[in-house]
Amino acid sequence: MKKLLIILFIVVSVPAFSQNLTTLEYSMGFATGDMGDFIDKPSFRGFTLDYRRLVQPNVGVGFEGGWNVFYSEESYAVYTQENVSLGGRQFRYQNQVPLLFSADYYFHPDETINPFVGLGIGTMYSRRNTDMGQYTLEEDGWNFALRPEVGVVYEVNPEFGFSLTGKYYYGFEAGDLNEPMSYFALNIGFVFK
Amino acid sequence: MIMETKSRSIIAMVMLVILLAGCYPQGPEYVDDLDVVITDYEPSYDFGAKGTYALPNKIVKITGDVIEGDEPQFIPDVTATAILAQIDKNMTALGWQKVDYANNPDVLLTPAAWETTTVLYYYDYWYWWYGGYYPYWGWGYPSYTTYSTGTLLMRMVDPDVVAGNGLPVIQWAGAINGILSGAYNATRMNTALDRTFAQSPYLKTN
Repeated sequence: MKKLLIILFIVVSVPAFSQNLTTLEYSMGFATGDMGDFIDKPSFRGFTLDYRRLVQPNVGVGFEGGWNVFYSEESYAVYTQENVSLGGRQFRYQNQVPLLFSADYYFHPDETINPFVGLGIGTMYSRRNTDMGQYTLEEDGWNFALRPEVGVVYEVNPEFGFSLTGKYYYGFEAGDLNEPMSYFALNIGFVFK
Repeated sequence: MIMETKSRSIIAMVMLVILLAGCYPQGPEYVDDLDVVITDYEPSYDFGAKGTYALPNKIVKITGDVIEGDEPQFIPDVTATAILAQIDKNMTALGWQKVDYANNPDVLLTPAAWETTTVLYYYDYWYWWYGGYYPYWGWGYPSYTTYSTGTLLMRMVDPDVVAGNGLPVIQWAGAINGILSGAYNATRMNTALDRTFAQSPYLKTN
């Protein structure tokens, strides 16, 4: 949480300019691949903050920071490795914090409904905790990450609008996590110009 | 206007962060969600060829500070009796017959309440039971886990199987982590004991 607040502080500290978009989104996550095997329940706890400077009327570049936490409570089960068996309930957590440079292309920048596509590249911090009894197995890593995105901005007035976006985060294997970390995110949010 | 927009953005973001931080998943709600059963066994030992076992009528507390000649402490008889009865019920269901220690049982099963997390080597707590057949049982601290205070630990040894260092080989161990640290709950204990034996099907005798 402390790291998260530091990241937010840095992001918020960047001054806003007239030719820019700042987007704050509520994010729902759906884990895929190894993450989906670990936690098959969607995440309804997450947000992203996007900043784009419009270098052209239809091209924005900037950065994105966000957070999603995935969580599941497993039923009682026995986990066996060689001669040792552990029986109990597992409580699984996976925190994802993408930090990306991003570029978007806007198809109709002067219209009320403005669809766009984008690509992000950067890093994603992944932390996985498997809690069982009073113990936790913690694995983490800083993944090199790519994030394609599609979305649409609905402009209410020249300073404000709503957004709907779909993003797919793919973090290459890193650190303790020897599989890629990936999830799809569906976001709704506010756009401030 | 730009400053107003930025202010609204920051306010909205702070509210969202507070909201999300408040609903971070909180984990287990009930104490029995924390119960973990751990079992380990020696795969080369033929449990199926055995049939009798001895069980003491008390459960010692492993406090870590008993020295040679000291009497160990025990958990209350009423609790021990209930636990030992449930152990016997499970062992009987697996085909074992309980006999007195004096009748040469195939294996000895010794339950203990783990009252410390710091023991590396301890004196023979079962001296009171079998009269010190082994001068010391160097039951080293298990390497695969850390037992928390209040753990019920059961260990099975065959008196005829001794390692090169003269100490008996532990053929099976079962532990229920933390279950004796709070108020005794018979249902919770019985469930955990049943699970301990259920996840050890290799204990079944022929």
